[in-house]
Amino acid sequence: MTKKIELLSPAGDLERLKVTLLYGADAVYIGGKKYSLRANSTNFSIDEIRQGCDFAHKLGKKVHLTLNIVFHNEDMEGVEEYIKEVVEAGIDAFIVSDPFIISYIKKNYPNVEVHLSTQNSTTNYKAIEFFENEGIDRVVLARELSKDEISYIIKNTNVAIEVFIHGAMCTCFSGRCALSNYVTNRDANRGGCAQVCRFAFNVENEKDFTMATKDMNMSHYIGTLIDMGVTSMKVEGRMRSLYYLATVIGTYRNIIDDYYNKTLTEDKMQIYEERLSRVANRETSTHYFLKEADYTDQYYTGRVEVSNQDYLGQVISYDKEKRLLKFIERNYFEVGDIIEVFTPSGNHLKFSLEKLYDDQMNSIPVARHPDNIYYLELDTLIDIEEYSMIKIISRRKDNE
Amino acid sequence: MKLLVELSNKNNLNLNCTGFILPLKDYSVESTISFTIEEIENIINKYNKEIFIKINKNLFNKDISIIKDILIKLDKLNVKGIFFYDLAILQLVKELNLDIDLIWNQTHMVNNYKTCNYYYSKGVKYALLGKELTLNEIKEIIKLSKINCMVEVISKPSVAVSHRRLITNYFQALGKNSTDKLQVMEKISNLKFNLIENNNDTSFFLDTITNGTSIIKDLYVVNCPYIIIREYGIGNFRELISDTMKYISNGCIDNCYIKKYEKLGDSTNFFFKKTIYKVK
Repeated sequence: MTKKIELLSPAGDLERLKVTLLYGADAVYIGGKKYSLRANSTNFSIDEIRQGCDFAHKLGKKVHLTLNIVFHNEDMEGVEEYIKEVVEAGIDAFIVSDPFIISYIKKNYPNVEVHLSTQNSTTNYKAIEFFENEGIDRVVLARELSKDEISYIIKNTNVAIEVFIHGAMCTCFSGRCALSNYVTNRDANRGGCAQVCRFAFNVENEKDFTMATKDMNMSHYIGTLIDMGVTSMKVEGRMRSLYYLATVIGTYRNIIDDYYNKTLTEDKMQIYEERLSRVANRETSTHYFLKEADYTDQYYTGRVEVSNQDYLGQVISYDKEKRLLKFIERNYFEVGDIIEVFTPSGNHLKFSLEKLYDDQMNSIPVARHPDNIYYLELDTLIDIEEYSMIKIISRRKDNE
Repeated sequence: MKLLVELSNKNNLNLNCTGFILPLKDYSVESTISFTIEEIENIINKYNKEIFIKINKNLFNKDISIIKDILIKLDKLNVKGIFFYDLAILQLVKELNLDIDLIWNQTHMVNNYKTCNYYYSKGVKYALLGKELTLNEIKEIIKLSKINCMVEVISKPSVAVSHRRLITNYFQALGKNSTDKLQVMEKISNLKFNLIENNNDTSFFLDTITNGTSIIKDLYVVNCPYIIIREYGIGNFRELISDTMKYISNGCIDNCYIKKYEKLGDSTNFFFKKTIYKVK
């Protein structure tokens, strides 16, 4: 039987690692404090990497570590010791762009997988043959490839193939852009990318020039990717929120499982699409998958990035006997709102909020202080685990 | 030390320099002109120069068989070497057992001596160093790697390549006819970039000349084998090349050269400025 496809989630810190694995990711990719292309993400200390690996391995899941900066001389100092430390901490795979580092790891740690980073913008089977000979285990393909091109690569190479399925896109080839270096003096290829491709530029006697891309959303093509023989589907976003990751990973978990179980209906897809669109802050596209990317895949004037207020709180615990849910608030809500609690195990429970309490169990009409602890009464005997999320369905004022 | 030139005007092939970098038609980016195989063959026969070919597009599956044939053809010509970006080229040269030298030209990635040595061990003879390096980093790479280094010293540097037709898309969104060139200015830094669209890719050039005349002597002292000057956007080019050849032929001792070419501007790119990547 063919191995089930891997759902690979980003995790910017230990809490995100736990949440995404609980919500159904098969593996996570994380960055250490050094050598990762998200230098300004929280990232993991060696001890946190160890904790993350222990957590993942107990669930039978994996941790991939990004080591994908483009190294300067000075970055080479200490990298061998760092590789040793993270291998001992338990990581399952490195994501690397530098072929010297690839050869070093394969020579010294043959049991640890090495994945070629998308930073290399690998766009053809012949380049993959080069890396096959270097012992690479997996290639994260460039996002510029079509369905047919991906399919051809899978059929004509012997390494595992990983593709991006969701999240932000670069305008330029990954690794082939130094706009950030020139405009902001922040090194795009060592984790400092300032996303200059999302800036607006003056053009003489014309409207502003912009080149920002819409986000990627491949939810409708998950079955296609599975049938093509893709090994791993990657979600972008190590700096995204817990709520975003819980929603996106949970939804893709549903789509993948339904596809394998032959229970993925159009009605279900509509629900899943709606969930994904509620956490999106940009429009989405499949970019190069079905056609050459064109002007419809980019933003020009009038781009609006929506700040999402759906996320109400994160569950700490649920006392089934007392029917009392303890949570930490993220956004304002009040008695009379219709809310949904969704859980790592995949339950989506809808309630009308009738009783709300502060942390001293005083009955209150409104939860208005983010990061404070609150309680609410729910009438359900279903388990609501830690890291369940609460989101708004409709506001009281709209229900009246 | 030798001087290679990348032209933006095909009429300048009689310049007094060591050799030329000729971007291959349909398979090069970050260039303003390109040459067919026939043109390359004519140039090799007509001019007594070192001729390097640039094939630096990201290649797709459909390109591989064509590139294979091109490499076989180039191998039979008196080509000094091929600048490559895509590792398919290295793989093909190895598979076909071709006797042609390669130049590692992964624009923003050629940044450390260990990886230079890695490519050298794979049979790559030269490396064009990244343009985001400091002079000290360049000198260290030259000193510590076995590969023959090339350094671009005077140019309007190429800074990005997109597989999107960004100019076409922009004008299409405006409902206007497109062009293949566009200048844009970033609003805060006031930096201007020149965009050139060809072969379904868009190349970005900084519209500021990197004036590396002051580092040529440093490179000479550490035995840098090649420096590169690109014509695009530079006036009085013939004179610049002639003067630069004289300067390096005479051991880089004529300070009048440096003084004369202050007129190219005061941008020394990253030669004396490190990039940062932690903003916290």
